[in-house]
Amino acid sequence: MTSTSILATAVGPHLFWITSRAAGIAALVLSSLSVCIGLLMGGGIVKRQRLELRVTHEALALATLGALLVHGLSLIGDSYLHPSLADVAIPFLSGYMTLWTSMGIVAFWMLAILGLSYYARTRIGVQRWRVLHRFTALAWILGIAHSLGEGTDAGQAWFLAMTGIVVVPALVLLVIRHLGSARASAGPAVTAGERRAARKLSAAAIPQPDWSDHGLA
Amino acid sequence: MDSPDTPRRRAPRTPEQERATAIAQERRQAILIRARRIRRSVAALTATLFSVAFLVIYVQLASGHDPALDANAKRTAAEKADKVSSSTNSTGTTSSSGSSAPATSTESSESVESSSASTSSEDEASTASEESSSSASAVTTSQS
Repeated sequence: MTSTSILATAVGPHLFWITSRAAGIAALVLSSLSVCIGLLMGGGIVKRQRLELRVTHEALALATLGALLVHGLSLIGDSYLHPSLADVAIPFLSGYMTLWTSMGIVAFWMLAILGLSYYARTRIGVQRWRVLHRFTALAWILGIAHSLGEGTDAGQAWFLAMTGIVVVPALVLLVIRHLGSARASAGPAVTAGERRAARKLSAAAIPQPDWSDHGLA
Repeated sequence: MDSPDTPRRRAPRTPEQERATAIAQERRQAILIRARRIRRSVAALTATLFSVAFLVIYVQLASGHDPALDANAKRTAAEKADKVSSSTNSTGTTSSSGSSAPATSTESSESVESSSASTSSEDEASTASEESSSSASAVTTSQS
């Protein structure tokens, strides 16, 4: 028997478990990157290349959801825990580390609903969707808490270093964003009517081009 | 008067408009290509991240350094040690050596002997104390 086959035999029963752990780690990194890019866009820190940032943010969010699906579903095949689909999909149902597991499940559903609502934002209302989308950061924080509280590798130096590298910049951006929005809300309150009036005034002040001679009117 | 079904007539496009449309189409195409490239890069990044994490955990597990299995092994070893020490305590606590190592058959027989000896000595001590108390009571009666 070769050494590879010996390894495969030794690790074989844990393949689903390894898959779940690897997918969880990938999801943590991808979601942190996605949050970073989202905050860079939303906070107006990066004003150029917005299209690239938006596409990257969207792709990273979808990849995160995919990795989270693999993370949860591969656990069903684990011979040690052997959870049911309900155990990995419904919070407070699993008997294994109930609080941390539920935190992860809630974070997944929040990320899925808030993330995929992007495709229904015109129905929801863009302004309302933007307000809702801010709660994605909360889901991300819940996910980090889940990984640090329940993660098998949470005590490992490489895991903590990796988490620090991807999480700390996003946390800093989140704090900057909140400080900025708190400062803005501390200023004089502008009502929606005032905003509309200001928009009308600015539209009247800027001369509009006459497109009729181009056949575009 | 035109019925609502009849298509609206468009004015013939000028060369400038044609050129502008072509430029817009080119730009749109370029944006789509860039978006596709970004999506591919993210997919590649995801696959790489997953593979690297999988390999690290796999090697960790195969080399016997997995944190969960380590913790399990430590727990099992501690439980075994507890069981052994509790069994030693129940059989050989009165042995003179007082070690926590599991007792062999000879050691256990010795310990049984020593325990029986100790019980006999305790019996002797108790009789002696009874005798002394009786003698004490005799003394008190004599004093009284």
